[in-house]
Amino acid sequence: MTLEEPVLCKRIPTPPWGDKRDRKLIDIDAYFDTGGYDGLKKALSMEAKDVVGLVKAAELRGRGGAGFPAGMKWSFLPPEDGDRRYLAVNCDESEPGTFKDRLIVDYDPHLILEGIAICMHACRLDTAYFYIRGEYHQQAKIFQFAIKEAYDNKIFGNESLLGRINGQVPQCYMHRGAGAYVCGEETGLLESLEGKRGWPRIKPPFPAVSGAFGRPTIINNVETLALIGPIVERGPDWFKSMGVPRPEGVSPMVPASYGPKLFGVSGHINRPGIYEDGLGIKLSQLIEVHCRGMRNGKKFKAAVPGGISMGVLGTDEYDAELDFDIGKKYNCLGLGTAGVIVMDEDTDMVAVARNLARFFARESCGQCTPCREGTGWMHQILTRIEAGDGTTRDLDLLLELAGSMGIGPGTTICGLADGANWAVRTIVNKFWGEFESRVRKERYVSLAVAGP
Amino acid sequence: MAWIAKNSATMQIDSRDEPYLDDTLKQELESQILTRYPTRRAATLPVLHAVQHRYNYIPHQALEEAADFLNISSAEMLDTASFYEDFWLKPKGKYLIMVCQSITCELLGHDRLLEKIRDKLGIEPGQTTDDGRFTLITAECLGSCDTAPCALINETRHEDLTCENLDQILDSLD
Ligand SMILES: Cc1cc2nc3c(=O)[nH]c(=O)nc-3n(C[C@H](O)[C@H](O)[C@H](O)COP(=O)(O)O)c2cc1C
Ligand code: SF4
Ligand code: FES
Repeated sequence: MTLEEPVLCKRIPTPPWGDKRDRKLIDIDAYFDTGGYDGLKKALSMEAKDVVGLVKAAELRGRGGAGFPAGMKWSFLPPEDGDRRYLAVNCDESEPGTFKDRLIVDYDPHLILEGIAICMHACRLDTAYFYIRGEYHQQAKIFQFAIKEAYDNKIFGNESLLGRINGQVPQCYMHRGAGAYVCGEETGLLESLEGKRGWPRIKPPFPAVSGAFGRPTIINNVETLALIGPIVERGPDWFKSMGVPRPEGVSPMVPASYGPKLFGVSGHINRPGIYEDGLGIKLSQLIEVHCRGMRNGKKFKAAVPGGISMGVLGTDEYDAELDFDIGKKYNCLGLGTAGVIVMDEDTDMVAVARNLARFFARESCGQCTPCREGTGWMHQILTRIEAGDGTTRDLDLLLELAGSMGIGPGTTICGLADGANWAVRTIVNKFWGEFESRVRKERYVSLAVAGP
Repeated sequence: MAWIAKNSATMQIDSRDEPYLDDTLKQELESQILTRYPTRRAATLPVLHAVQHRYNYIPHQALEEAADFLNISSAEMLDTASFYEDFWLKPKGKYLIMVCQSITCELLGHDRLLEKIRDKLGIEPGQTTDDGRFTLITAECLGSCDTAPCALINETRHEDLTCENLDQILDSLD
């Protein structure tokens, strides 16, 4: 354990500090009674730009998947021009393996609302839209109620503590999605908010300059915003006492991995659930200490570090440190959402790859040909290999296809295709022997070489 | 998803005299939803949710009425409505069973749940029982992987499912 006390789980009983069975919804009174909205009060006594400076100094990185520094994103906003500016809160949470934002919504919604209010003050945003995935019915009800409590207690609305922003009454509204993973992509989310199909936009322009309704917009993940209150209240140095610093000799421009993080762990372990710990905790520690080890005494085989888009960690990467540097060190896309999926020795990696490819094929929005066609082909090829009808050439084709799609190779608009790319490529590469043993080794002789 | 071509150009639309978006519903939406957005079109998703909530699906006539209400073309309305998997443009059963098929649920045996439903109700994913009570579909990760395998039945999430407790849950639905 590297955390001394829970931060995001301060009011949500979570092992090792508390018992899950004691969890209950923290309403606004209980929130106030436990120091809630103190961060907001402090922020309101500060100049807006100083609050942004404070978040920058804490080097808070986004918890929605990409790990982009939040303070830097906030400072990309153009100067105020008196017209409207928006905050879009990303609670789409549809990345397989990810269920961390739901925990905060379920039990401590005001932690999120406090972050929203501070962000609106700091960035001068008059309206916040809370975009929640359609399948979160119960969560939508809980959050709608929390929003009402916040209005009644003058966080938002006519008599808001925030005063007037851009000449407007500060508002916070919920917007429900309707079952589309791609709407979690920030610009897909904005299109959906505008009432259109969730087709991600070509960037630039970036949302901070031209986002919702063509106006400057900040998009942040739920967990990112939930950390804002504690950061403002307790300061950047406190925040940076958790997690891991930049490796030595690295330029200060490179963001580090500070702060606490929610790790949602599922799969073949004894005690699945969400655990809070400092960034940089080892996968082995997470499994052995927090999750009480592998199920049925089985051996570890593979794990997804953070939502399936990140690819997999292999059997020999059991000790990987879960921080934002993981991608470079362990050849995966990144830490993602830290939704860890653990697989034991009996797991069929071909079936896993087929499952992941099917997800991307179903959720591709269809704008970019490499993604629309490629994800479907990968699913077909993997289904064929799983059924025993694959050949060695299929493996090459699979790797070539996967490697050709995404923002990385420069062929698509959004990162969904990079997820498909990394998911399939890392499984095939890290479990090559298993794939090879499942295909027929046929030699193909090119007709051009063989001649007539 | 949305790029599967639909033959909407040749489709006949059933119509009825009584509007789906009646004046009460419109007034409610006007005062509670439309005020939230700077454009009328932005209310498309909430309006579709409201229609589906009332009628259990979204009839095409309702789509046209919603388009008129929001001052957009029916084509734009259909474009949005057909993109999202949660919007049903044809009737579905009274109970919609969404079994998660994403990776953690597959690792922990979601196929047994599908088999159970096949045995008990005689439907495959995508089908509705003859009495119109149950529709079964597969869903992607429901954000409940720590309690996999899981399923959503209408608005309720059911966790740690086994054939036995699924059986009981299905029996308890009226
Ligand atoms: C296909 C796709 C799906 C995404 N889904 C989510 C999501 O469900 N929730 C989320 O917070 N971010 C998601 N993201 C990341 C967002 O685009 C964006 O980076 C994030 O919301 C920014 O917030 P943050 O900086 O606070 O992390 C997704 C990205 C892609 C490419
Ligand atoms: S990469 Fe895929 S999901 Fe993203 S915009 Fe292109 S087609 Fe759509
Ligand atoms: S994989 Fe089924 S709920 Fe996440």
